[in-house]
Amino acid sequence: MPEISEDASLVGAAQRGDRAAFGALYQRYARMVHGVLLARVPVGDVDDLVHDVFLIALKRLSALHEARSFGPWLAAIARNLASDYYRRSVPEDQLSDDESAVDAASRQSSAPNTSAEVLEAVRGLPEAYRETMILRLVEGMTGPEIAARTGLTHGSVRVNLYRGMQQLRARLSPMSNRTAEQETP
Amino acid sequence: MDTGNPQEKRENISDYLWDGSGEPDPEVQGLEALLGRFQHTRPAHIFPAIAPQPRGAWIPWRIRWVPMLMTTAAAVIIVAVTTFSLRSNKSTPVNLAGWGVSVVEGMPQLDLGTVSSQKSPRLVVGQALQTDQASRASLRAADVGQIDVEANTRLRLLTMGAGLQRIALDRGTIHARIWAPPGQFVVDTPSALTVDLGCIYTLHVDDSGAGLVRTSMGWVGFTLNGHESFIPAGAACATRPKIGPGTPYFEDASPKLQMALARLDFEDRTPQQRATDVTIILGESRKRDALSLWHLLARVDAADRLKVYDRLQKIAPSPAGVNREGILRLDQPMLDRWWNELGFDDISTWRRWEHSWPEATPGRTR
Repeated sequence: MPEISEDASLVGAAQRGDRAAFGALYQRYARMVHGVLLARVPVGDVDDLVHDVFLIALKRLSALHEARSFGPWLAAIARNLASDYYRRSVPEDQLSDDESAVDAASRQSSAPNTSAEVLEAVRGLPEAYRETMILRLVEGMTGPEIAARTGLTHGSVRVNLYRGMQQLRARLSPMSNRTAEQETP
Repeated sequence: MDTGNPQEKRENISDYLWDGSGEPDPEVQGLEALLGRFQHTRPAHIFPAIAPQPRGAWIPWRIRWVPMLMTTAAAVIIVAVTTFSLRSNKSTPVNLAGWGVSVVEGMPQLDLGTVSSQKSPRLVVGQALQTDQASRASLRAADVGQIDVEANTRLRLLTMGAGLQRIALDRGTIHARIWAPPGQFVVDTPSALTVDLGCIYTLHVDDSGAGLVRTSMGWVGFTLNGHESFIPAGAACATRPKIGPGTPYFEDASPKLQMALARLDFEDRTPQQRATDVTIILGESRKRDALSLWHLLARVDAADRLKVYDRLQKIAPSPAGVNREGILRLDQPMLDRWWNELGFDDISTWRRWEHSWPEATPGRTR
């Protein structure tokens, strides 16, 4: 796994104070962190939280003993920060409410609600699937990339994609039917 | 790797969904086009300078602060002990963690009551879930996975959290679908420890404590007293109390091979019996039975090991850097390199798990 050894070298360099190495880790992992957060918090807050995750990682980097586990460790920080977000602000169950679903970014959509509705359908999937689905469909990561970044095995990513797609189809089909009905004169 | 396993085939996804290769999938492309607008695009902020952490620099700092740290630690211990004493005099606190339990059929028992009599039933650390011949249940933990519990099963939750979920399956059958990172979900049975390495599997334990794991997707590690077996999708592996895991085999391997393996693992007493069964196994082995032969290398004596090596070399040639002398003396890095060449999964996942939980695999041998 050459990529993981590269990560280990970058983490080691960053622990020794190399800011460029930390920047390279950001480039490599920002999409994963963004996806993990997007699976949990409103779209408008995700970018700021991505920055917060990397700031926390920067502060705690010296405590990371297993440099090869940087990805899973970073994902855990992102998940914890998302939980803190709801402890600080609104109850987590509001994530699926219409009000939070159609946030500011979504309201500006050129195709009103369509992207937001699909995103909400993905975010309504079971936790295990929605993160992998967002990393694949939103962040454009491949299955092997998702596995390498998050620490999941290829098999688990495959399962999550397969079942996530099945459930997403089921969630979206009533939506398409409704749209078709509305379009029928 | 296509194992030919029907369950795995059902779970297959298009190449395009997996890695963007192959024929474009219009459904996936449509979703990508809709959702791409939410993608991460913001460049990195300027991060503050990182204070380097030179090796050994912490020692003088710690020495300077030892008296203060000791005082603080003593104060924390006093507060903790006082709090614990006060709390333990009250009613038992409700542990909100644990696995959500739902009834599939009948009246499963959760500790002393039935599952259906409890509001939001959860299996928490220290509790047992039991089904009789007419009941079945399902357990679910959002970050870990789902376990379907068959009839006549008893299991207990031993540990939850801190990167390790540990369940004891005393008897019966469970179907586990695990999405926690590899190595975090462990099932204790009377005859082996089952370690999820990212997969779907079924585990059965009979009243004698003997077990059988059948993997549908991903792979599972089976270990006891340092004996270890790796079971990829489409394969199965038996265990026996006091002996531990046997040699894994693909379920479509010839019946003669499977029976010879079972005798070799659990019944053969004399060198003659063992040699006879090794000969049957080698004669019946196909390319994908390299799985069984690789495990056999460490389970047979020196004379038979040479025969196993020769057969394995024919059906799945070893990679560069692996040689006969190294394999015959059971050189671990060479064995691991050869395993990785077989195309099942990367053994470093398992080695990292061993490193993280050394107490689970003392004095390891295969």
